[in-house]
Amino acid sequence: MTELIERADTAADTPVVELSMQQAINRALSDLLTEDPEVLVFGEDVGTLGGVFRVTEGLQKEFGDKRVFDTPLAESAIMGMAVGLAMNGWRPVPELQFDGFAYPAIDQIVNQVARMNYRTRGATPMPITLRLPSFGGIQAPEHHGESLEALFAHTPGLKVVAPSDPADAYSLLLQSVRSDDPVVYMEPKARYWERRPVQLREPSDPIGTSRIVRPGRHATLIAWGAMVHRCVQVAELAAEDGVDLEVLDLRWLKPIDAAGLAASVSRTRRAVVVHEAPLTAGLGAEVATLVTENCFRDLAAPVQRVTGFDVPYPAGPLEPQYLPTIDRVLLAVQRTLEY
Amino acid sequence: MAQENFTFTLPDLGEGLVEATVLEWQVAVGDVVERNAPLVEVETTKSAVVIPSPKAGRIAELHAEEEQVVPVGEPLVTFEVEAADEPQAGIVGRVPAEEARPARRVRLRPPSD
Repeated sequence: MTELIERADTAADTPVVELSMQQAINRALSDLLTEDPEVLVFGEDVGTLGGVFRVTEGLQKEFGDKRVFDTPLAESAIMGMAVGLAMNGWRPVPELQFDGFAYPAIDQIVNQVARMNYRTRGATPMPITLRLPSFGGIQAPEHHGESLEALFAHTPGLKVVAPSDPADAYSLLLQSVRSDDPVVYMEPKARYWERRPVQLREPSDPIGTSRIVRPGRHATLIAWGAMVHRCVQVAELAAEDGVDLEVLDLRWLKPIDAAGLAASVSRTRRAVVVHEAPLTAGLGAEVATLVTENCFRDLAAPVQRVTGFDVPYPAGPLEPQYLPTIDRVLLAVQRTLEY
Repeated sequence: MAQENFTFTLPDLGEGLVEATVLEWQVAVGDVVERNAPLVEVETTKSAVVIPSPKAGRIAELHAEEEQVVPVGEPLVTFEVEAADEPQAGIVGRVPAEEARPARRVRLRPPSD
């Protein structure tokens, strides 16, 4: 899949390398460990094994087991340790191995990580970046395909980001780790492997900036993580029918780029938001509201949502029936066109 | 693309089986096999089963003769594989297949504006 909009801000002298998202994240972690001696990487199997998805491969060997280390299988303890380390001047980058394993750590994340700086009137920043392999698409068992973005976005004090391609994965991770606020960095597992030509670059857009992946004029598809790829597929198929779809990668799920959304939908006059999480109280509702608040008079049709269903995330074989399909997205587009 | 060797050890084919007897190799040294192609038929105390190939690659070495008993965990076959060509799945789940041309049923009618 080619990227359809060139990044204007790419430095001309950085070489183009062929990288998967997995490798791009590994490169970002390596660069962060190099640039800042306070950065620590830890979690279940991130050290000796190099992570179940090989994202942290080679880091312990390069930076030693004091900076890249394995933890017990205790997610609450992993996040609790991150809090203690952050209080003492470290810049922790913990990994919780899978989305569903974040639930046991919710107390630490919501009650400590998100609030400590507020509670201490700004005296105790929590520069923690929680790396969370997220979303579905790899036919894994239960607890390995959850989409928790609405839960984290709803928690004051947290920032939430989900990259959709290797280049963004690299620069958004640099940006997240360098931020003095806690960030939940959601890695779309389904997109770990596809290699793309990438120019690794320093982050240049402010936190909370979306990105137009594909320009179009008839409707805007809004997505994040692996659903961006799905929407680009849909846009390419729609083009065969003479329908020109814009694809907006939201990237930051907190703070949300309300201005970017408004700029796109004001032009296209139609919006479809696509996510893997269940429909009810999902982030699509927030996006639809922001679009409606800001573009009410421009809209040619109500904002459509194409999402997972209001059921627990299904194990392996049922996954393709649960995740937004190309046809479901196309039907939603048709509803906006015919309204 | 760099080549590397991958040795496949005899997996536990049932609940706690300790060994299996090689009945018939369905590949020979030098063969190029696809992932999931039949590799070898073995017999355990429960049944005879055909083990599919866990990798795509060239067969570099067979570690057991036919009729030989192989303990679980011992080498069965060594492959020469492309080092970086095929994305490796994690310990959980699988690499999603990328369709060259995604399937669709819904056709759109362009708007009048």
